[in-house]
Amino acid sequence: MTLEAFTGQALSGISVGMVLFLVAAGLSIIFGTLKVLNLAHGTIYMVGGFLCYLLTSKLVQIPGAFWWTLFIAPVAVAAIGGVIEVLLLRRIYAQEMLYQYILTFALILIIGDACKFFFGVSYKTVAVPWPVNGNVSLWGLSFPLYNLFLIGCGIFVFLALSALIRYTSLGRIVRAVTHNREMASALGINVPRVYTGVFMLGSYLAGLAGTLMPPMSVVALGSDMAVIIECFIIVVIGGLGSLPGAFLGAIILGLLNAFGIYIIPKLALAFPFMLMIVILIIRPWGLLGKPE
Amino acid sequence: MTKNLTDRFFSAALWMILVLLALMLVPFVFSQSVVSLINEMLIMALAGCALNLMLGYGGMVSFGPAGLYAVGAYSTAILLTRYGAPFFIAVLAAPVIAAIIGTIVGWFCVRRSAVYFALLTLAFAQIIWTVIFEWYDFTNGDNGIVSIPIPEVLYSIRNIYYFSLAFVAICIFVLWRIVRSPFGATLQSIRENPMRTEFIAVPVRRYQLAAFVISSFFLGIAGSLFCVFAGSVFPDYAHWVKSTDMLVVCLLGGIHNFAGPIIGSSVYILISKVIAKNTTYWMFFLGIIIVFLVLYMRNGIAGFAAEKLSRWKNRLQGTNG
Amino acid sequence: MRNGWRMVIVMILAVAMTAVFAASSPAQEKKPIVVGFIHSMSGAMSMYGISSEAGGKIAIEEINAAGGVLGRPFKMITRDDKLNPEVGLREAKDLLLSEKADFLTGTISSAVALAISNYVKREKKLFIVTISQSSSITEENFHRYVFRINTNAVPYWGYAPAIALAKTKKAKKIISLGFDYETGKNSLKGFKEKYLQLVPDAKIIDELWAPLGTTDFTAYITKIANSGADAFFLACIYGGGELAFTKQAYAFGLYDKMYAIQPCAGDVETWSGVKKGEPYPKGALATARYPFWAIKGARNEAFVDKHLKMTGFWPSYGAMNQYVTMYAMKAAIEKAGGVDTEKIIDALEGMILDTFVGKIPIRAYDHQAMMPNWYGIIDFTQKLTFPHLIAAGVIGEEGYHTVDQIKKLRGK
Repeated sequence: MTLEAFTGQALSGISVGMVLFLVAAGLSIIFGTLKVLNLAHGTIYMVGGFLCYLLTSKLVQIPGAFWWTLFIAPVAVAAIGGVIEVLLLRRIYAQEMLYQYILTFALILIIGDACKFFFGVSYKTVAVPWPVNGNVSLWGLSFPLYNLFLIGCGIFVFLALSALIRYTSLGRIVRAVTHNREMASALGINVPRVYTGVFMLGSYLAGLAGTLMPPMSVVALGSDMAVIIECFIIVVIGGLGSLPGAFLGAIILGLLNAFGIYIIPKLALAFPFMLMIVILIIRPWGLLGKPE
Repeated sequence: MTKNLTDRFFSAALWMILVLLALMLVPFVFSQSVVSLINEMLIMALAGCALNLMLGYGGMVSFGPAGLYAVGAYSTAILLTRYGAPFFIAVLAAPVIAAIIGTIVGWFCVRRSAVYFALLTLAFAQIIWTVIFEWYDFTNGDNGIVSIPIPEVLYSIRNIYYFSLAFVAICIFVLWRIVRSPFGATLQSIRENPMRTEFIAVPVRRYQLAAFVISSFFLGIAGSLFCVFAGSVFPDYAHWVKSTDMLVVCLLGGIHNFAGPIIGSSVYILISKVIAKNTTYWMFFLGIIIVFLVLYMRNGIAGFAAEKLSRWKNRLQGTNG
Repeated sequence: MRNGWRMVIVMILAVAMTAVFAASSPAQEKKPIVVGFIHSMSGAMSMYGISSEAGGKIAIEEINAAGGVLGRPFKMITRDDKLNPEVGLREAKDLLLSEKADFLTGTISSAVALAISNYVKREKKLFIVTISQSSSITEENFHRYVFRINTNAVPYWGYAPAIALAKTKKAKKIISLGFDYETGKNSLKGFKEKYLQLVPDAKIIDELWAPLGTTDFTAYITKIANSGADAFFLACIYGGGELAFTKQAYAFGLYDKMYAIQPCAGDVETWSGVKKGEPYPKGALATARYPFWAIKGARNEAFVDKHLKMTGFWPSYGAMNQYVTMYAMKAAIEKAGGVDTEKIIDALEGMILDTFVGKIPIRAYDHQAMMPNWYGIIDFTQKLTFPHLIAAGVIGEEGYHTVDQIKKLRGK
């Protein structure tokens, strides 16, 4: 394989990985603070995709429709997340993990069918927005600008989130609640509100990913199932609750998917799961997580 | 008034015999398609009880019971089609193979607990699914195995029903005995407080592995029974969505009650059939019911029934039972 | 206590629902011929289910309005298989046992079709497949009680594109990308077999396989772009996956770089939402199972109209197949003099269907109707708002496996 081919392959893998990073980061943050593994996270991502389609088609007259959508849709998704958290999730924090699992699974069914009801069953597409709809020539390979834009988005969100968590007082509060919720509560922090906020943030990230994805792919029912499995793999590799872990995990998975196709595909489908098992056995807190 | 152990045994045994008698009369009372449906419920009930050994009694949440169920189904299917094995050997080998796979998978999974355990079971189940899907030469891949040669006597709906009922009844009885044995009691104490149980010199991991293997054994039987019932097997039998069906069945009926999965499977299959018949948005309604369950009926139907029964008894007796 | 009452309400509702919906349907005057229709009515593939149901219903309305079949009306009962063979089997049993269906038809998933086929073999009841593509349904797993009135994977995914390519571009270095499942593998096998027979100096330089259902093909596209091939062939990449592939390939300029052989690009369901200016399989060689815009005749136009009115979208090949099937059953029942499965089967074998897409024989050896496949180039024209096949030709019986080939597959 030539260096050009290698770079092209790597970049394409990473660009897809960046969208997955956004979803996985949301899942990881939610798990880190709320200790809930939200199975419906992929479905929330899918809602983001549908909203992207809806808004871009409604706003098609306005120039820069996609960019307005990028601004609005994830916020809408975050709002939906907030409603879910307040109405449903709050009641099961104290329960065993099984109930959380089953409840979030039920949300997959409910939200998924709601999407079917509102949007129908056909595939939805969204055009690549100006100005990132061109191509760059990378060593003879015509590479879409949009994919590079996605890499940029991923890096930007990672840096912004890391800064938010590390340097702002909001971030400090979240860290405090994550670390020791009773203590934080005793210090006067409104823990339930922080939980809602974190869940909304996680949902926002999923919605953002869902909005960024349609221009380079297609919005379809059932995409939530595929995404949630990829997310599990990423957060296990990187570490449940770790933001840099999600970033690293997404890059690893992206590269694995990009270069895995050069290996016999018979086993390629199982590779990510085998990697997941290896990490869970040897180092369950992932590459960058903290041992409990 | 306290019941001594013999009394309790007999009242439970009485219930079981009554239910069994009622089930034996089913083909004489109901139409063929209902008998077929109840047949399915029986097999699902066995799978649920097998899973509940880990789930309700062991406190181990597995995302992958469907994997072992599929191993059982495919073992029987492959032995019958590819190797032309005699029918009973094929059926009885299935749980053994499932238990072997369960031992390997379980050995890895019990090294971790809670969410990591769950994710491990999910990963293994997906690997089993991938193997079934990809190993086309051995398992026929996504086309599944059809035209499985089962004895002609089992073609009739009535006969296959009794065949399933016999196996399911025996297996559930055995599971009941296991749950009531010292092993079962230790398992429950591990569920309640693993650390404390370890302090009294119980090898927790070994017990959990044993539960995993026993569970796999009976899941294998359930899978094999379904293979015989349907006459065909498909990779979807191992998919994590099927695992979720089994978990919902346990939850619906009540995980802290032995009869829970049995009740749960009947209600679940009934509800999904009724809902699906009347709307394309059946997933929505199923989801709502599940949410309702989790929020308001955590102990499932059996739990609710047991609670009501004991209250009723207390009121009659005027003392705390 | 509050919790308890809620539960009681749910239980009562569940029981009430069961009672209400288990109640028998109102009596009919003329005993109808019950058609058990099983398809994917929910989920990702449901547009095919809904479309096929519509096609069947249109035929039934027409037939019933003209007096029915031997004086009896058709009655269609629809069930959802949820793309799951267990569920499909359960519904098939229910249709035959409870609803007393006279025959079964439908299915898109080959797994569901195989499960139902296996079951009707035992019950000696008729099952007519109208979308499921796996050739094994009528080849290795053939039996007397299964028929297929739609094209199958052999011509559509394999032979027809090969014949079409040999007639047009004759590409010499081809790289293939397919969904990693049996139909995908067979598709490439069929294509290779036929094409290398027709153009012996051509080569398939690489075979790429993507997980079934994936919508991200970027890694494969970059590999294809760097492969040095002059054409790429898509083995069984359809629906949402195909749409995503096209978008991504278009973004990478793949359609300008090499020739595309994209069988499924001809099917309406995938492309009807794509408008001019959006990515589409520019200049791709495609095959189609029902390019309704290219078929002449009032009957066809009437059908398209009715389907549009009934469902709100263009008819799929599933709809056309189901429509033809109902008329085939009418003819067979009339020839058999009644609803007798054995006589109907005898009538269907060798029958020539008079349809608005031509006269189509049902081959007796494998019960496969020789449905045609059209081929052509994909582009935009004035006729429609979405990219479509500009039909260059039709491939009929020569696209299917020959009886000798099937004999070998059945191990005779």
